[in-house]
Amino acid sequence: MSFFVDENTRLIVQGITGREGTFHTEQMQQYGTNVVAGVTPCKGGTEVLGVPVYNTVREAMERHEANASVLFVPPKFLYGAAYEAIMSGVPLVMTIAEGTPVHDMLKLHHLAKEKGVQLIGPNSFGVISPGKAKAGFMAHRIFSEGRVGVMSRSATNCYETVFLLKNAGIGQSTVVGVGGDMIPGSTFVDVLPFYEKDPDTDVIIMIGEIGGSEEELAAEYIQEHVSKPVIALIAGKNAPKDTSMGHAGAIVSPDGEGSAESKEEKLRAAGVHIAESTEDILRIVKTLV
Amino acid sequence: MKLLEYKAHEVFHEYEVPSIKGFTVSTPEELEQADGKLDYPVVIKAQVQTGNRGKAGGIKFAENREQLLKQGAEILGMSIKGLEVKRIFITEKVDIDKEMYLSFTMDRKTKLGVLIFSPEGGVDINEIVEKNPEKVAKVILPAGNEIDDFILQYVIDKTGLHQSYHDEFKNICKKLYRMYVRYDCLLAEINPLVITAEGQLKALDGKVDIDDNALYRHPNIREFRDEITENPLVLQARGFDFLYIPIKDRGNIGVISNGSGMIMSSIDLISKRGMEVTCALDLGGGATADRIQEALKIVASNPQVDTVFINIFGGITRCDEIAEGVKQSIAEIDTNRLVIRLEGTNKEKGLQIIRNIGGNIELVDGLYEGVDALAEGMEK
Repeated sequence: MSFFVDENTRLIVQGITGREGTFHTEQMQQYGTNVVAGVTPCKGGTEVLGVPVYNTVREAMERHEANASVLFVPPKFLYGAAYEAIMSGVPLVMTIAEGTPVHDMLKLHHLAKEKGVQLIGPNSFGVISPGKAKAGFMAHRIFSEGRVGVMSRSATNCYETVFLLKNAGIGQSTVVGVGGDMIPGSTFVDVLPFYEKDPDTDVIIMIGEIGGSEEELAAEYIQEHVSKPVIALIAGKNAPKDTSMGHAGAIVSPDGEGSAESKEEKLRAAGVHIAESTEDILRIVKTLV
Repeated sequence: MKLLEYKAHEVFHEYEVPSIKGFTVSTPEELEQADGKLDYPVVIKAQVQTGNRGKAGGIKFAENREQLLKQGAEILGMSIKGLEVKRIFITEKVDIDKEMYLSFTMDRKTKLGVLIFSPEGGVDINEIVEKNPEKVAKVILPAGNEIDDFILQYVIDKTGLHQSYHDEFKNICKKLYRMYVRYDCLLAEINPLVITAEGQLKALDGKVDIDDNALYRHPNIREFRDEITENPLVLQARGFDFLYIPIKDRGNIGVISNGSGMIMSSIDLISKRGMEVTCALDLGGGATADRIQEALKIVASNPQVDTVFINIFGGITRCDEIAEGVKQSIAEIDTNRLVIRLEGTNKEKGLQIIRNIGGNIELVDGLYEGVDALAEGMEK
C-alpha cells in the first residue's frame, strides 16, 4: 500500500498548458503517474502530451472519473482553481504555488474540511509514493521505495533527508509536502492517521520548522493515537525572532510562541525522537528499521 | 508587512474606523507649513519601525507654533535605535477618559480569525493578559466576511463595557473586521482604543500587519513597503525577487540557498559549530544564472561578509545555472572565501563549470562537509 498517490491514481493537472504544468506533467508521466486529464480555462478541446484538456474540472471529472488533482497555477489563481476542484468532487487536491494569500487559504482550509476533501499544500512539492506515482515537482531521482514515511514543511530539508536515506539504502513509503505556508490545507495532524494506518510504513519522519503550532498539535495527537515510532526535526533554531525566514509560516512571534524549544519539548514529552539535523535523522532511523 | 502608525491611520480612515486627526511631515519645509492645520495642543510622533520611541524622545507635545517648529525639527532626523526618523506624524491631542485594547488576528491552531478585547489598554497585550486575564475577551470567529452582533454582545457582557458605548463599540468592531478581511491583515490592532473626555471612541494608535503574499491586491501598501525599507540589500534583492534576510549584526558568513528550509538548516548547523551567519539570501526555486550572479553580488557587498556559503539542493533549481552565475560574478566579488555545495538537478554539469573557474573556490560534497570546511577555515 501507500496513500494519496499510487498506481490507482487518476490525476488531473490544473494549469497543464502552462510552462511548469507541461514540464512537470511529462515528468510525472515518465515516473508512471496516470495523468488522465488537464484543465485550463479557454483551452478546452486541445491536447498536451496526449492528455485531453478541458475548460473545467467538472467536465474532466465527468469524462475520466479522476480521483486526484494537482494545481500548477500561480498563487493569484490558486483560490479559484482549488475552489473549483473541491466543489467538483475531487477527493484529493494538491497545491504547489508559493505565495498564496493567507486569507485565501483560511477559506480553502475550511471549505475542504466541510466537503471532506484532502487538500495538500500550498508552498509544497506535492506528494510522492516512490516507485508508484508522484504528483508535484519533486526531484524524484533522489527518492527510493521503502518503508519510511516522510512529511515535511520544507522541500529542501525533505530532499536532504531522503537523499541521505537513499544513500544509506533506506526507502520511503509515501512522502508528503505539507508545505511552508502559515495556513496549510492539511497539517501534520491531518496526515498522521494515514501513516499510522498504512501497512507499508514502519517509521514516520516529521520535518517541521519554527512558527505556528502544528508540531505541538502533532505531539498531542501522537501521544494519543500513533503507535509507530516518530522522528522529528525542527529547523530554524537560530533564526532571529519576529523575522520571516522565507516560508510565510516560519516566524517566531516576539513573545517566543512558535519557537523550536517549545515544539521539541512537547514532542519529546509525547515520546517522539528529536533529531538535531538531517544527518541525525538518518542516525535515528537506522536504530529503528 | 507592518505598517507605520500614520499608514495604519490612513487604512483606518479608509474603512471609516474613527481615529484621531493627523498628518505627516517629512521635510523642514513641510514642517514650516504645519502650523494651523490642527488646533493646539498637538502631539508629534516619530515614525520608525521600532517600539519604545517615547522613551527615546520620539514623542513630544506642542502648545503653539514655536514649540511645534522646535520639537518637530528635533525629532525629524533624530536617530532611534539606529533608525533615522524620516517622517513625523502630527496629531490632535485628545483628552482621554479611558484606554482600551481591540484587535483582530489569526488563530493558527483553529485557522480562524480571533477578536481580542480588553477594557484595559495602552500597554502591550501580553502585559494586559498577564495582569488581568479575566478582563480580556478572546473569541474565535466563525469563517466569514462579516461579524455577527451576538458575538459582539458576548464580548460586551464579558468585559462589562458601559452601556452608553455599546453601539459605537459594535460599529468600530464591524468596520475594523471588514478592514482586517479586505486588507488581508495578519493583525489589525487598535491600542489604545480610547474613550475621550467627550465620550467618543477613537483609535489613538494602531498596529496593522498585512500579508506580504497579498500585496498584489494592495498596490498602495506595496509602494509603502519599498518606501520604508531601510536595508538597501533587502531592496536590491527584492528587485530580483529574492528574499534577503539580515540575521545578526555580528558574524562574517553569508548563506545563499534555494529554499527557506535549507537556509534555516544551514544557519542551525553553522551556529552549532560556534560560527555566526550575518545574512542569508533565499533564491527560491528555479533561479537562472543571470539572477544568481546578482544574488552573489548582493550578499558579497555586505561589508560584514568575508565568507559566502552557497548551499544548493536543486529540484527545480539547476546546478549548472548556479555555477554559471558564480562564473559570471566571480571577478566582481571580493570575499575571502567561497564555499560551494551543489546537489540535485544537473549536479555534474555544475561541478565541471566550477572546476573550470579555478581560483580558490572550495567545492564540498554535502551540507555537513560544507559546514566542516567553514569551521576548519575559521580555525586557521
